[in-house]
Amino acid sequence: MNELTDQFSIADVITKDLINLDLKAQNKEDAIIELSQMLFDKGIINSVDDFSKDVFGREKEGMTGLGQGTAIPHGKSDSVVKTSLAIGRTNLPIKWESLDEKPVNIIILFAVRNTDANTVHIKLLQRVAMLLADEDFIHHLHTVESKDKMLELLSKEPTE
Amino acid sequence: MKIIGVAACTSGIAHTYIAKGKIVKAAQALGHTANIETQGTIGTEDELTPEEIKAADVVIIAADIKIGGRERFKGKKIVEVPTSMVIKAPKGLIKKIEEELKK
Repeated sequence: MNELTDQFSIADVITKDLINLDLKAQNKEDAIIELSQMLFDKGIINSVDDFSKDVFGREKEGMTGLGQGTAIPHGKSDSVVKTSLAIGRTNLPIKWESLDEKPVNIIILFAVRNTDANTVHIKLLQRVAMLLADEDFIHHLHTVESKDKMLELLSKEPTE
Repeated sequence: MKIIGVAACTSGIAHTYIAKGKIVKAAQALGHTANIETQGTIGTEDELTPEEIKAADVVIIAADIKIGGRERFKGKKIVEVPTSMVIKAPKGLIKKIEEELKK
């Protein structure tokens, strides 16, 4: 994993434009659409409809709420042009199927290309998933005050 | 104890790696070691070696799908759980295994 950090940075899968710390959505569907729209605006997906349909499809297969107010909806879809992340934080928690049965206010949407020859991007997503195993990291997701701080947090090396 | 295991989820993008992280952290916190292989969308990573398998006290299969290479663990104590269980209560799972192995 160290080699990866030397050559590639989290900036390859997420930028400030893909972070919204003031998400307006008040329910799960709207949150996924709002984040998908951000991905569309940056040319990362070519259809909000097609992509969000894949994300909703994945939601039916099993819960994506991890507990501690965090959810990781994800879609592997033909509509994804470049494997990326979008992160949203809502002021009020929204209802979500979660392991601790509590609502969420941090939503990390994973957009993965159906056939990605570039495994680097997927590995960067995996690193973020590894970070999510760390309770301190999740605590910081709730408290970071700016997009810059969020990017800094995401660039952390997962500890094992 | 020496824990080894395999993590695999439906889409192989996120839960697999969170499960791995949770097992490794919980194992370390409780004074054990854990080597977890991931079978994800880009294939197998951190593949378990025959030596690691031989030395292991227990195998945790944290999977929502059928894993590859299960026959490698023949004769080993295997604990099979969904990834959600490992993500939710990793320490609880390891403590339960500690109890089981004492019997």
